Amino acid sequence: MSPTLFAMLLVLVCAGVEALAQISLKQSTRQSGRRALWIATGVALFAVEAVLYTAALRRLEVSLAYSLGALSFVAVALGSAWLLDEALPPARWLGIFCILAGCALLAARA
Amino acid sequence: MRSTMNAKHLLVAGLVFAIALDTAVQLLWKLAATRLPADLSPGTLVDAVLHDPLPLLVVGVFMVQLVNWLFVLERADLSYAQPLTSLSYVSVCLLSAWLFGERLDVAKVSGVLMVLVGAVLVGKGPASDSKRP
Repeated sequence: MSPTLFAMLLVLVCAGVEALAQISLKQSTRQSGRRALWIATGVALFAVEAVLYTAALRRLEVSLAYSLGALSFVAVALGSAWLLDEALPPARWLGIFCILAGCALLAARA
Repeated sequence: MRSTMNAKHLLVAGLVFAIALDTAVQLLWKLAATRLPADLSPGTLVDAVLHDPLPLLVVGVFMVQLVNWLFVLERADLSYAQPLTSLSYVSVCLLSAWLFGERLDVAKVSGVLMVLVGAVLVGKGPASDSKRP
C-alpha cells in the first residue's frame, strides 16, 4: 500500500471518529443530566481523531485531506438519523452522493 | 418575534466564526504537522512542542472552535449546522495554494466543488427537525 493511500485511509477513519464525536456533543445539548459526560466523550474522540489526522497531514496536501474529511458529513448524516432520530430527506441523500463522488475524484487524482 | 430574530443572528454569527476558525485550524495544523520531527517518539514530540509553539496554538484555536461549536449546536441540529461550515473548503483550498504552493488543477477544483455542493445539500432542511417533539 502506498503511503498516500494509507494516509487517505487514515482520513476515512477520522471521518468515522468525527461523526461519533459530533453525535456526542449534540447529545450533550439533549441530556442535560449527562452533559459533562457527553462533552468529555466528544473531546476524547476528537483527541483520537487529532492524532490520526496529524499523521495523515504529514503525507497529504491539506486541501486534499480537509476535503476528504467531508466524508464525516456522510457519517454524521447517517449516524444522526440512526442514533439521534434526525431527518434524512432526499436532498441529504443527494448530498451524500455528491460528497462520495467528489472524494472519489480527489482520491483518484492523488 | 424579536427574540426569534436575535436567536437567528446569533446562530449566523456563530456559523461565520466557525468557518474562519475551521480555515485557521487546517492551515496551522498542516504547518505544525510538517514541522514535527521525522523520528516521532514521545521524547522527540515533547521536545518539538517545547521548541515550536505552533502545536499549542492549534490546540488553542481548536478550544475556541469547540466552545463556539457548542454555542452553535445549542441552536441548531447537527446535520444542519455542520455542513454550512463547508465554505471553508474553498478558503482552505485557495489559501493552501497561496501559502503552501499546493497544486490547483481541474480535478482538484472539481472534486472540492462537488464536496462543497454535497455538504450544502446535506445541510438543506430546517435548522431543527420538526418530526421530533
